[in-house]
Parts: sequence; C-alpha cells; structure tokens
Amino acid sequence: MDSLFAQLVVLESSLALIFGLVLLWRRGVPAYVNAFTWQSIVLALVAATVAWFGRQRELYVVAALLVLLKVIAIPRLLARMERRFATERELAPYVNTATSLVVAGLLVLFGYAVMRPVVAASELPTRAAMPLAMGLVLVSLFVVVSRKKALTQVIGFLVLENGIALLALLGAYGIPLIVELGVFLDALMGFLVMQIFVYRIHETFETLDVDQLDRLRH
Amino acid sequence: MIFVFLLAPAVASALLALVVRPYRAAVGWANGALSLVAVGAALALWREVLGGRVPVAGPDDLLRADALSTLLAFCVSLVGALAAWLGPGLGDDSWDATQARRFRIFANLFVFTMLFAVTTDNVGFMWVAIEATTITSALLIPLHASKASVEASWKYILIGSVGIALAFAGTVLAYFDFSTLVGRETTALSWTLLREVAPALNPRVLELAFVFILIGYGTKAGVAPMHTWLPDAHSEAPSALSAMMSGVLLAVALYAIVRWQAVVGRAAVSPGFAENVIGLLGVLSLAIGALSLVAQRNYKRLLAYSSIEHTGLICVGLALGPLGVFASMLHLLNHSLAKSTTFLLAGRVLGRYKTAEIEGVTGLLRTMPWTGGFFAAGMLAVIGLPPFGLFVSEFALVRAGFAAGRPLTIALVLALLAVGFVGVLAHLNRMLYGPPPGGVPIGERGHWALVPLGACLAALIVLGLTVPAALDGLLVSIAGIVTP
Amino acid sequence: MVPWAIEIVQAALVLALAPGLVGVVRWLKARLQSRRGAPPWQPYYELRKLFGKEVVVSSNASWLFRLAPYVVFASTAAAACLVPSLAVGRPLDAVGDLLVVVYLLLLGTVFLSLAGLDPGSAFGGMGSSREMTVAALAEPTVALAIFALALSAGSTNLGQIVGRTLTDPAAALSPGHLFAFAALFVVMLAETGRLPVDNPATHLELTMIHEAMVLEYSGRYLALIEWAAALKLLVFFALLGNLFLPWGVAVAATPVALTLALGSLLLKLAVIAVVVAVLETRVAKLRLFRVPELLSVSFVLALLAVTSSFLAR
Repeated sequence: MDSLFAQLVVLESSLALIFGLVLLWRRGVPAYVNAFTWQSIVLALVAATVAWFGRQRELYVVAALLVLLKVIAIPRLLARMERRFATERELAPYVNTATSLVVAGLLVLFGYAVMRPVVAASELPTRAAMPLAMGLVLVSLFVVVSRKKALTQVIGFLVLENGIALLALLGAYGIPLIVELGVFLDALMGFLVMQIFVYRIHETFETLDVDQLDRLRH
Repeated sequence: MIFVFLLAPAVASALLALVVRPYRAAVGWANGALSLVAVGAALALWREVLGGRVPVAGPDDLLRADALSTLLAFCVSLVGALAAWLGPGLGDDSWDATQARRFRIFANLFVFTMLFAVTTDNVGFMWVAIEATTITSALLIPLHASKASVEASWKYILIGSVGIALAFAGTVLAYFDFSTLVGRETTALSWTLLREVAPALNPRVLELAFVFILIGYGTKAGVAPMHTWLPDAHSEAPSALSAMMSGVLLAVALYAIVRWQAVVGRAAVSPGFAENVIGLLGVLSLAIGALSLVAQRNYKRLLAYSSIEHTGLICVGLALGPLGVFASMLHLLNHSLAKSTTFLLAGRVLGRYKTAEIEGVTGLLRTMPWTGGFFAAGMLAVIGLPPFGLFVSEFALVRAGFAAGRPLTIALVLALLAVGFVGVLAHLNRMLYGPPPGGVPIGERGHWALVPLGACLAALIVLGLTVPAALDGLLVSIAGIVTP
Repeated sequence: MVPWAIEIVQAALVLALAPGLVGVVRWLKARLQSRRGAPPWQPYYELRKLFGKEVVVSSNASWLFRLAPYVVFASTAAAACLVPSLAVGRPLDAVGDLLVVVYLLLLGTVFLSLAGLDPGSAFGGMGSSREMTVAALAEPTVALAIFALALSAGSTNLGQIVGRTLTDPAAALSPGHLFAFAALFVVMLAETGRLPVDNPATHLELTMIHEAMVLEYSGRYLALIEWAAALKLLVFFALLGNLFLPWGVAVAATPVALTLALGSLLLKLAVIAVVVAVLETRVAKLRLFRVPELLSVSFVLALLAVTSSFLAR
C-alpha cells in the first residue's frame, strides 16, 4: 500500500516538474497557460492522493480549492490576458532555451543535493518525491529571473507557488487547513494585483517587456 | 481586549474610507483619531509586558504579545498614526479625493496586516500577513500613475512575492520536521510551541529552512543582495507610504527573521549558524547601502539606501549575542522614528520643489525654514550623529561587538558608517544652503503638520540622552527571548 | 535446441513485422487526418517492387555507396535480434547489451551519412550534415538514459533490465524510469526521423533529413535502406515497450508464454504507434535550429533520470 502510494506521488511530482520545464522550452503564452493548468491538475491529484492514502480528510478540501482556483479561475484570467496581449511572446529571454534547459537540469540536481538531509529525516512514504518539489521551486525561480515578459514572470511565480504547495503536501501532508485558507486567499489576491500591474505596464509602456522598465537606475 | 483596540482601528478606518465615497476630510480625521487608539493599545500592551504578563487572545492563543511583539506593535501603530495624520487627504493636500480614498483604504489595511503579523503567535499566519503587506502596499506605490512608479511597483510586487514565497518554503520545511514531532494540529505552527521543541528538531533540516526564511523575509527587509526593489519602491511611493515602508515594514520583516532566529538558536544546529549567516548578510547590506549613499542624485533614494544600510546594521547587531540584540532592537525603534519622520519631511520638500533630484533643491533653509531645519535634523539623526537616539544604539552595537570578540567586524562596520556619513553630509549641505531656484514660493505652509514631526525628533533626542527604564526593561526581555 | 529456435523465430518475426509497423503508423496518420490512406501492408508491396527494380548508381559514387545499404541493414538487423522483443533468457542475451544495440544503430547512421556524402550531390551532403548534428545531440541523452536504467537494474544487459523490472514492478513507476522513458521517447523521434524533427512523408528539399540522404538510392539498395529504417523504428518501439513496461515478455520457453508475449508485443507496438501517429498529426515540424532545443529537453530529462535513480536508491 505504502509503496503504491510512494510510486504514485513520485509519478505525479515528476509530471509536475516536467510541466514546469515546459516554461523553459515553449515560447507562446498559451502553452505556458496550458502547462500551468495541467500542473495544477496534477497538484490537485497529489493532494487527493495524499488525502486518500494518508487519511487526511481536509486535504480533499485543499484539492477542491486547488481545482477551483488554479485549474479554473486563474487560467481563465490568464487566458483573457493572453488574448489581450497576443503579440507578446517570449521571443528572446535573457538566457537562451538550450542553456536554460541545462541550467534547469543542474538546478534539479542541486535540489536533490540540498534536500538530502530532509529526505533522510522523513519517514513519510512521500519523501522520495520531495527533491522533485524543491527542483520545481528552483526551476520556477529561474523562470522568473530569466524571462523578460511580465506575463511570463507572473506565470513563473504561479508555478513557484505550485512548487511550494507540492513541497508542503509531500513533506508534511499539507499545512493546517486554516493557514492553508489564508495562503489561498493571499495567492488569489497576489495574482489579482499582479494582473492589475500587467495591464498597467501595458498601458504605460505599451509593451510587456520588462526590459523597457529601466527608468530607475540610481 | 487590548488586541481589539490594537487591530480594530485600522480595519475600521479602512472600512470607513471604503464606505464613504467620495472621500471627505472627516474620514481622515476619524482615521487619525482611531490611529491614536491603536497607539494607546500598544502602550497598554507595553505595560502588561513590563508587568511580566504575556497577553494572549483568540482561538488556540492565535494572538500573543511578548516583549518583541510589543516593541514592533508600538513602532507600527506610531508610524501608522503619523501616516494617518500627515498622509494624503489630511496633512498632505497634493492628492485628489480618489487618490486620498485609495490611500486611506489600503494604507489602513497595510497597517492592519503589519500589526497582525507582529502579534500572531502562529508562524503560518505571520507569513500570510507579511505576504498581504506586499499586496496592500504595492497598490499604493503608483498613486500617481507614471512610468517610474509603475516600474517600481512591478519590481516590488514581483521580487517581494517571490521572496516571500521562499520564506513560505522555509516555513514548510521547518513545519515538516515539527509535525512529525508534535502532530498535525493548527497549533503545530505556534511559535511558542516551536521554540519549546526546538532542541529536538533535526538540525540539518532546520538550517536549510532558516536559509530559506532568511532569504525570503530578508528580501522584504531589504537585505542585500535581495534589496534591488527597495530603492525604487521607497522612492516612488507617496511619502506617507515611504515612511511606513522604510520605517516599519522593514522592521516587520526583520521581526519575522528574529522570531525564527530565536527558534534556531535553541536547536542543535552548528554553533553560531544563524548568527553567522545573518551577520554576513548584514555586513553586505551595510556595505551596499553605505557605498550607494555617496552616488545618489535623488534624496528619496538617498533615504531608501540609508534604510538598507540600517537594515544591515540591525542584522549585524542580531549576530552579536544578547547585548547585540539589545542594541539592534533599540536601533530598530530609533530607525523607525527617524526614517519615517525624515521621509515625511522629504514629502514636504518634494511637494514644494516638485522634484526629487538633489540638484533641484537648494536654499531649503530659506524657502521652508522649519521643514528645512527639521529635515536637516532628521538626516543627521539618520546618519547617527549625537544627540539623537541612533548614535546611542550604534554605540551600544559597537560595544556589543567588542564584548562578543568581533573587533574586525566592528572596524568594518565603523568604516562603512563613516563612508555613509560623509556621503549624506555632502548632499545635505547642497540642499540646505544656496539661493532657492526660481519659481519656488518662499515661506512655510501647514505649520500644524510640523508638530508631530517635531515631537518625533524630540523623542529621538530624549532617546539619545537616556534609555528610559520602561524601554530598557522591554529590550532586556527581548534579548532574553531571542538569545536563550 | 529450443532456445535457438526461439531466437530464430523472434528474428524472423521482427524482420517481417517491421514494414508492417511503418504501414500501420502511416495508415493511422491518414485516418487521423481524415484521409483514406494506403492499407497498412502497402510497405510490403513497395519493398517487393523495389527489390525487383534495376539499380542506378551515380558515376561519381565509390564502393562505399554500394556497401552502405548492406552495412545499414545488417547492423540494424543485428540490433533487432538482440532486443528481447519476445523472450528473455535467449542465447543472444549474453551479448544483448543496451550499449551494443544503441551503437549498432549508430553504426548504421554513420554509414548512411557517409553514403549521403559519397555521390557529391548537394542534397545528400545537406542531409548528412543535419543527420550528424541530430545524432551528435541525441548521443549524450542516450548515454545518460542508459545509465539511468542501468543504475536501477545494476546492469546494462537488456535481459537483466527487463528481468529486474519484472521482479520489482514498482520500479517501473520510479521517477528515474519515467524520465528515462520520456528522454528515450524524444530521442526515438529524432533518431527514427519522425515529426517534429524530420518529416518522413515529405520530399520538400528544405526540411528533409533522412530522405535527403537516401535520395540517390534506387532499386534493392533503397529497399534495404527502407527496410532498415522500418526495423530501426521497430527496435525503438520494442525497446520503449519492453524496457519500461516489460509485462508479457516470456521468461519461460513455453508455448503459452510465447503466445502471450507475441500478443503483448503487438499490443505495445500498436499503442506506441497510435501515440506517434497522434503526435505527428498534432505537432508541426520544428525549424531546424529549434531541434537542438528539443534535444536539450530530452537531455535534461535524461539527466533527471540519472539523478533520481542515483539518489533515490
């Protein structure tokens, strides 16, 4: 039973990581939105899996919230922004695609390295997948710093949140529900505010290229 | 009950501003009056804590105010009150009604989230509240929508959110180890409990978690090298918001780091682990802050870089044992007062000269004698000149450094402070004297707004002459909390 | 006697099935694109026709040009014999190493590229240079993916990898295996000249890789090369199917087990064929300079595979 549980979460976490890597490889924003949506579905699946095998009822609520927020609501808003800024593609990120991918691979290696003590300290059946979650966190951080378009950066940030949520699910079967609710609220508000700013950047700069944001240099 | 008086005024003011539209000056007055209630509540907390009690409230003792919380609650409510009295819509008339209303709504929410962050005992909620400070304050930076302010707020919200997300990752890592020890209840994120079981936690996991937490909250505290958003955001924000961000938001983020330092300090981590990392980043921030001061051409950015410098100084103090913690907490209070006052004065200067460039401001003492004089006093306080409080806390910090056997670090700190000192003084000199540029009206306006600012400067002078017994008691018990 | 009989049966089966597999993929693609399409057995007709045709060789071509088709076919057929398509524990398992199989296939690629250069035609050279680029980029991925599999099985021997996964079914879902599978899948697309790397259905000069190299061939030479290409596709399909999901592969030499093995092999081939056909219908061909990026995706996957199988042991 435990081994099936372990295999399942590892499988799901690997998928989540692969969807994270899509951000480095594809260029169109629709592909990013798709990848994010699928990753969120996988994340909800992880929550449901942990809820079932780990007997944590409240995680079903978390899974449901994940579906509502990150599979339905946010992708819709993202798609709306995408339609509005259809011409804004991530054509020339700061780091080119091939290098980005190799860096991402190294980051995942690094994730494995830093998570060694954590995995060693854990007795949960989910521990084997924790380095993958840390890898996803590091890769999405890299996405945020290496991409130029505001919209891509937002998606990178959303993927970062997914990575951390995955880490919480795997490491501790999720954080207490009441805190989780607060985190969800923050995630939603944070996203909405970021969305406002994306529109505003487009209004004032007529592009989403943050390279153009260079007025402020000491 | 005290907590209600502490937290409710901000919420009530925000609601009031939300309901009353269009904005009326009465909302501002009500906001100002309510903000004083919060200051009163913070003082009441102070008395409780000095009496050896730790007030708690809420389900699972969600709210808890020990000495550390009290100090921060006092700083936040005080600066919140300053901003309420002198911000857009009351003391600062360069904004229209829509902007004033927006300011009142979000600034009060901002104050509420900060107060909640420093009084909750649950590190999970502390994270939620600090994340919420980013959201509430980011919306206020482009109160005037200009390219520069949109750019500043984008950097702020993106870097701030990413940083704070990393702090959450650290919290999760710490919680993971902890939940296996204590079990999975809401109380499992209680700081009190966390600190109690700290010696039994896995030291390697906790070290990793602390690195994440330090980077995460450090981003919000303006710790180098994650400080890049800070000068932009603090200089582009409306002055009342800059005062809150520089004066207390940095302190709240530092507070979160101190909370975790108190946990890590009791765990079986390699000796001096937390101190070494914090101290290293502190020296780095101090260096970057001080060296950037010299090259500034914009006086609001000058103040922002000075905040990075002081954040670094506080971090260095945290790494120097109980005496150092005492000094850095005193410094935190002093800096809150001095920086928020100076930012508000800078706002008055900006309102008159319509430029934030140092070059564009000359003859300040002639155009606005009182504002100019106060601004000069504030600047001198900020660079740590006697008789202001920051001199005393910096002196205490140096002494703590020698007591902790770190003369080299202290020598470096002093050298960097001297660099910053010279840099600021040169700029200040240029602003105060010389002929005022043409077209700038001469003569002070809105005298009453100078009263609270003058009071703050007076308080700084008092703190520079003596540390009152009540404050001393508070700081001693904070040192006891942070260093076991 | 019996083991060798199985060996021969397997080899004959693989050789016979290969053109059919290509036909099935083409037919599936046609159906997915709402065309009627040629029947799946069309490649057999083509091979028969080509074998009957006269060979035309450019006067510039050297002996290498004539030798290459035989080398290509022989190396691919040898590789096909080594892969445990039906059963493990066969006599050739002793040399059936994953490294051997992969480099036998690469030997064929090298000769094909040489043959593309040999007659000195512009297209041949272009195709060869592209093929070598792709092969060179795919190589590290293949090596790493093999390491990932070898690490979890403790051997690079195909029979042992299959046996190991059969005894420990959970291993099939380990991240190491999954990443290696994904990596090899991408490499398979590149090495067998499928979309999005190369389009097997076009002779548009600007985009072709494989077709550009074999442009000068005719008659039985072309038949051998086409057959070898089909075999290569089958080898990769069988590797993907049997290494990662080995259930059904016969461990004992009983008629029941062998029948079952045949059934499961056909099923796996069919499933992968459907996946490839759907993929080829859905995606467009990548511009050539995007191909290295695709291959670095697979490289990263392979790297992850090695990491997770090394660190999760």
